[in-house]
Amino acid sequence: MSSELANLRGRIAYVIEAADFDVDQIIGVENIRLTDPDALAALAMRRYDPDFAALVKPGDMIACGENFGYGHPHFGPMIALRRLGIVAVLAESFATGYWREELAEGFPQIACPGVLGLVRRWDTVEVDWSAGVVRNLTRGGSLALQAYSAAERDMIRAGGLVPYLREKMRTP
Amino acid sequence: MGYTISEKILGRASTAGAPMRAGSAIEVKPDFVLGYDFPGYLDVMFRQLREELGCERVVEPERFGIFIDHMVPATTPAEEDFHAITRSWCRANHVRLHEREGIGHQVAAEAGYAVPGAFVVHFDGHVSQLGAFGTLAIGIHQQLLEAFARERITFTVPHTTRVNLRGRLQRGVMARDVFHHLVRVLGPRSCRFQVLELGGQALPTLSLEGRQTITGLAMFTGALSSICNPDQDALDYALPRALKQLEPVSSDEDANFAAVHDIDLSGLAPIVVVPPSPAATADLVDYLGLPVQAGYLGSCASGRLEDLRAAVLVLSGRKVSPGFALHVVPTSRAIMAQAAAEGLLTPLIEAGAFISSSSCDYCYGRIATMSAGQRAVSTGTLNVRGRMGSPDSEIYLCNAAAVAASAIEGRIADPRHYLP
Repeated sequence: MSSELANLRGRIAYVIEAADFDVDQIIGVENIRLTDPDALAALAMRRYDPDFAALVKPGDMIACGENFGYGHPHFGPMIALRRLGIVAVLAESFATGYWREELAEGFPQIACPGVLGLVRRWDTVEVDWSAGVVRNLTRGGSLALQAYSAAERDMIRAGGLVPYLREKMRTP
Repeated sequence: MGYTISEKILGRASTAGAPMRAGSAIEVKPDFVLGYDFPGYLDVMFRQLREELGCERVVEPERFGIFIDHMVPATTPAEEDFHAITRSWCRANHVRLHEREGIGHQVAAEAGYAVPGAFVVHFDGHVSQLGAFGTLAIGIHQQLLEAFARERITFTVPHTTRVNLRGRLQRGVMARDVFHHLVRVLGPRSCRFQVLELGGQALPTLSLEGRQTITGLAMFTGALSSICNPDQDALDYALPRALKQLEPVSSDEDANFAAVHDIDLSGLAPIVVVPPSPAATADLVDYLGLPVQAGYLGSCASGRLEDLRAAVLVLSGRKVSPGFALHVVPTSRAIMAQAAAEGLLTPLIEAGAFISSSSCDYCYGRIATMSAGQRAVSTGTLNVRGRMGSPDSEIYLCNAAAVAASAIEGRIADPRHYLP
């Protein structure tokens, strides 16, 4: 059973180059207790680009550096990005705990070593799961992405851990 | 080609029933499933189990252990109501509840979940400290729901980075410094998605408590978990209290490690981890004299007898600096009782420390909360912004002796000046 995920195509709405990036900074540590997605979305990336929320479009992605999500990540930052329509996070590599939590949320996290050299802000990229590559459609070039395990792929396709478990427990 | 201890443990607990190579996707039955009550964690899982997955009761409740160690004591009626939900779920499911016995990851060892050779899951990664006893304990985050809902979980056997320790720690240098040194030399990404396995000639010279400290902090190297091959000390502690009979296992000599590092402990000096990242390690001597207003000696990482003994050596016959808030929180009730029996509490009290029964709450600023501009020295787990109060307060992580020395001076201080 290898029904692949649907390919993603969208712009790189921001490039976070820093290694070991603490995602709480996306909304600001003072806001990590917020839960309202709209309030979180309004704060997203404001310190990096005050116009971020206005510029981003559904289908966009972000590209990030090594060990993205290191530290003690909270859920608010990615709730904010998803609310704005961000559909995936590409990174050189991910921090273990962050990765597990966001896959459980059904949010595609795509490890693609070299991605910081492949894309610039506002380039359009395509994530081709069956070919196992990320393509830069704006300026050409492509890189291999790190494939999901079957369980990870099924979790993303289901839309997160709970629907994934619901499916799994239905089929003996 | 031999197997790592983690490949053996996961393979034995999997449907294969035999060691499985790193990278294999397996269906594996956790020997124990642990969690603590905190808003957004078990309460959400209890609801998801019932409403989303139609699970009214867990299978084999004797595999489960729940801890009430956060929000202890409660400060609002809502918090007490929250604990009541957990108590009632445990009663209905015939699941063991450990309430007010101490910080769960330590209580888990005391209560016999740290069975050498066992596979344990929790949502919180600091459970890795059961690795001190040869238990593979992994914080699987939200996937813990799967362990509540199904007998087995789907898991990929992790690769292992092996660290061989040699040499002896100098005076004033503690297990925490060993861990922070590992982050410094290996880096915060060195063990991503892997198990950090500790060994080498120096490992038996570290106490079990020290091994709990190091394995418990492993996530800051990127590791999924951490483990030691159990020696006689670990077996002597763990087997008499074990909640399950299992054959202890160890890594084979010719096991396949993703990386092997040799670390010499004899040259280590006290380390400070400066804000705002657990990766920001520095030599303590470079920060001496920095004014600090608070000190925390406790947490699941530190706050055990060897930490309390070190603090007593520093503080005996001395006084905490006027205005400095030193909080000493033994990691469990059993440790506090032992500390009292050893006479460790009186000199700390006389020095001016505020001593509390065990609770997780000091570590994340729910109590002893710092205001903007304040600075703490701490043996807690983490130093990210806002962890112990205001986002504009700061946390400097260091060993227990350094917290005690800094409490005397009201500035970051070198414990070696105070130790006999």
